[in-house]
Amino acid sequence: MTFQVEFQAVVFAAGKGSRMSEITAGKPKCLLPIGSKPLVWYPLHKLQTAGFSDVILIVLENQKTEIQSALERSDLDLKIDYVAINDNEDLGTADSLRLIYDKIRSDVLVVSCDFISDVSLKGVLDKFRAHNASVASLFLHPQRSENVVVPGPKAKHKTERDLIGIDEQTNRLVFLASASDFETELSLPTNLLKKHTHVKIYSNLVDSHVYVLKNWVVKFLKEESSFMSIKGELLPHIVKKQLSKPPKQMDTKESIVNVHDSGDIFAFAKEDELNLAIRGMSAYNDHIGDLKGAYHNDSIRCYAYIAPKDTFGVRINTLPAYWSVNAKIVDVWERVTHGKELVLKSPNAVILSNQVDNRSIIWDGTKLNEKTSFKNCIVGSNTEVSSFSRIFNSVVMNNVTIKEKVAIENCIVCEGVTIEKGCQLKGCLVGSHHLIPEGSEYSSEVLTDSDRLMEF
Amino acid sequence: MSKKANEDMKNENTVQAIIIADTFGDEFIPISNNVPHALLPMINKPLIDYTLEFLSLGGIEEAFLFCCTHVDAIKHHIRKSILNNEVWTLTMKVHIIVSESCRSLGDCLRDIDAKGLLRGSFVLLEPGTISNIQLLPLIKKHNELMKVDKGTAMTVIFQEAGVNHISRCPQEELLVAINSQNRILSYKKMWKNKERKLDFPLEIFLENPCVSLMHNLKDTHIAICSPSVLPLFSDNFDFQTKDDFVRGLIMNEEILGSTVYCDILKGSRYGGAVTSWRMYQALSKELRQNWMYPIVLSRKKNKVLKNNVVVGEGTSIDDTAHLCNSVLGENTFIGKNVRIEDSFIFSNCKIEDNVIITHSVIGSNCVVKSKSKVTAGTILGSGCVIERGLFVENSLVQMEEPEDYEEADKLGNKAYRLRTDDDMDEDHSVKALVKKMSRLHIQEENYESEEGTDGFSDSDEDELSYTQSPVPDDTKLFFTEVIDSLTRGFEDNLLCDNLILEINSSRYAYNVTVKEVNFNVIKAILTLSLRQPIGPQYFSHLSRLLSYFAPILKNYIRNESAMIDCLQAIEDVATSNEELKEKWVMFVLQYFYNKDYVSEDAILDWFATIDQKTKFHKQVKPFTDWLQEAEEASSSDGGEDD
Repeated sequence: MTFQVEFQAVVFAAGKGSRMSEITAGKPKCLLPIGSKPLVWYPLHKLQTAGFSDVILIVLENQKTEIQSALERSDLDLKIDYVAINDNEDLGTADSLRLIYDKIRSDVLVVSCDFISDVSLKGVLDKFRAHNASVASLFLHPQRSENVVVPGPKAKHKTERDLIGIDEQTNRLVFLASASDFETELSLPTNLLKKHTHVKIYSNLVDSHVYVLKNWVVKFLKEESSFMSIKGELLPHIVKKQLSKPPKQMDTKESIVNVHDSGDIFAFAKEDELNLAIRGMSAYNDHIGDLKGAYHNDSIRCYAYIAPKDTFGVRINTLPAYWSVNAKIVDVWERVTHGKELVLKSPNAVILSNQVDNRSIIWDGTKLNEKTSFKNCIVGSNTEVSSFSRIFNSVVMNNVTIKEKVAIENCIVCEGVTIEKGCQLKGCLVGSHHLIPEGSEYSSEVLTDSDRLMEF
Repeated sequence: MSKKANEDMKNENTVQAIIIADTFGDEFIPISNNVPHALLPMINKPLIDYTLEFLSLGGIEEAFLFCCTHVDAIKHHIRKSILNNEVWTLTMKVHIIVSESCRSLGDCLRDIDAKGLLRGSFVLLEPGTISNIQLLPLIKKHNELMKVDKGTAMTVIFQEAGVNHISRCPQEELLVAINSQNRILSYKKMWKNKERKLDFPLEIFLENPCVSLMHNLKDTHIAICSPSVLPLFSDNFDFQTKDDFVRGLIMNEEILGSTVYCDILKGSRYGGAVTSWRMYQALSKELRQNWMYPIVLSRKKNKVLKNNVVVGEGTSIDDTAHLCNSVLGENTFIGKNVRIEDSFIFSNCKIEDNVIITHSVIGSNCVVKSKSKVTAGTILGSGCVIERGLFVENSLVQMEEPEDYEEADKLGNKAYRLRTDDDMDEDHSVKALVKKMSRLHIQEENYESEEGTDGFSDSDEDELSYTQSPVPDDTKLFFTEVIDSLTRGFEDNLLCDNLILEINSSRYAYNVTVKEVNFNVIKAILTLSLRQPIGPQYFSHLSRLLSYFAPILKNYIRNESAMIDCLQAIEDVATSNEELKEKWVMFVLQYFYNKDYVSEDAILDWFATIDQKTKFHKQVKPFTDWLQEAEEASSSDGGEDD
């Protein structure tokens, strides 16, 4: 018999990276290089440092082997249960969670593969534990915005803003919506404002997509097949339901069965008798200001944990986010990995150049020939850079061939690209497996085979 | 020379305050007919004394008292205070400004603007404000805000107070949205708003990273104003009250270029204003319990008795009187067996023997003659005389004859009932109910908790539960409701079936048990009959009443236990009305017995539970004796048959 773990960790790595299709065409989003590691390594490493030994990783069917082999080569000491989902159907996060319903026995910690942060998971888990919550969610203060020039043509990157209502006194999450759902007015139920007499509505918090879900939430999700995503549908629904009262208990046995069948959320959100009895006898109350019982006698309770102000935390779901995190990963590495040593130059790389600065990261299997120069750049594995080339402030992914006398500055060069002799690229995005002919000069452009982009 | 310069300097920096003395409303009629709001006695001291004491302790050096009515009385009072060297006179100058043409706070401020009396930021107090806060730090903070935000017009002072806190005025329930700099972005009164949803402009959330929506505040009616406030009032003639001002500024922020901030008092910092009888009661209570420390009631002049009773000088109370949660004025006389609960008796009153006064205010120089009952939010104006044995509830009573009164409103030669506006339109029953409630109803135990209904789905309970002012006692309310229904039914000759429907709906509204329904309906019918004086015509009136309500009686007295409830109701009415004699008890029991409403067994069972020592036992005894005799006779008859 195995003992039941307190939390099961689920990492979603089946996202297609639709917000940055230029670089995710031809490469799983979760394997995008960030510093010396693929993206998904960061949340997995965070889980490992938080004490998890088992993780369920949800991936797309056609990317499974690639991800598996990439992770097996990494230094993670985690037992990863790969769950592949069909990549033809457009499945959301809630759908995925429903698929692995059979594997869920405890409360669930849901993490997205694009979350890089130095925040400790303890904060949000403790909030969840302390109040026996239904859902606890981790929010981050926005990072100080920097003006970075993102490769590719100039574009205005719209940020999506959430409106997040948090009870000032109890940290209950009482309102959750996207700002774009409203036109000119935000309407809130009067009851909500009477129940939670001091609600703070934040418009700039970043939802980390780290959620802790009570076991019953997954059971409820199993019944409620209309929900596609956790963020978009499941959470707002549960948050709203905090304001409802459970339907009156019927007297006859028959109707109790009916209640169960109807999929009413309160049929799932039952607290056990002992807990209720203890709370009834205790003098504890989570709030002051009215004469209601602890938690307003709610059986559904959502909590928000806002990470401390100076926390570093980003979600890599847009091109600017990807670009800016790579620019500063060397600086934040130690905080993000909780003191792990950063290997700048892989011992398996052949580095014949003597002009590699200490902000550059070179992956294994890569060959940098003599008389090349690298500043503040990332060069992926199995890439070869020939002599007389220089790469500044750029990301070069795996299996790239760069011939002689090439100058690359402020660029992202995707997988399998070949750049012929004498090319000069400034601020460009080179799509995967693209071939740049000899002597080309480009600046601020997206270079990709258009038909290849269509494919995905 | 230097001395004069010094004085000028001092003048430059004097901290000024404006006190508006009049409410411009009719909240305190009929008391306010004779007494200005400023001189309303609050635990035997005029309200204005507390306000002035607060201002001088708070650091104000010059105060302008703006009066519109009863000017001479206020002038006289201030002069007297100065002669008596009241504490505040040492550090503060008070100027009285008189303008009888002003009809609102806005008018007053426009008048002051024209006079050009104020120099810098000042403190604005609405009528009846009492507080214990230090004003100088608040003014300093306000001035610093003005340096950062040139448009800063006002800092409104709120106090933190939980939902259902006694000093939260139901008419002033607030919902304020502020940003992290405490700037007010939205200011809503919840009172008239019965919407299930509240709308806020989206931009306030997008422009501010964090907006606090606060419903845990009460207005202290204190505001720190920039010099720009007065011209703003002058420019906008539609600003009548401070609320108009705040709302107008927020709405037209771009046009007027002015902003409003707030400051939130926490902990022992207190502020509040007497804006209605309800607030009057709340503030008296808080004053008694020292929430306003260092402003406390004067221990020299007042005696504090048990059961939260405060008594003024020269008042005599009979040993048999029962008092609780009340304040008695000076030189008042309380007779034998008087019961006073949750009430305020002003000075020089005479309360005669066996009077019951609950939840009421008795103005000065009133006489309440013996055996009368004054209850449920009644306010007696100065000099009223309530005649012997009168029952007054939920009324405003004044001494003088009103201009157009109906005969029914004449309670005595020196007591006339006033009709308030909302008595006229019964349609707004919710409003009327709340008005009733808002007068004087605070009982600690009975906060009606508002059940949180699902804001996202439909349910009609919400409309009702909106009246969230503390409701005294559901059963009592139900009783008054039934009385109202029956009176109207009898007067307007309504069908009893309809009345039953009405009673049943009140029953659900107040959630009373079947037992209580039976009890209260019978009690209501009997109480109704007592409005007729006990005389020769009384019994014919009673039987007319009973026969009229026969369908109702039949409907509610259905089984054995209902019979017991019915008999208990009779007992209750008989014991609580001293003048009811044996004859009444006999008549009622006989009537109910003859009409088969109650069975013999029920009467005998019930009789056995009555305490033998009571007067009532003696009154019932002849009837039960007669019953038993009759029974023996019939059973012996039966025996013969055998």
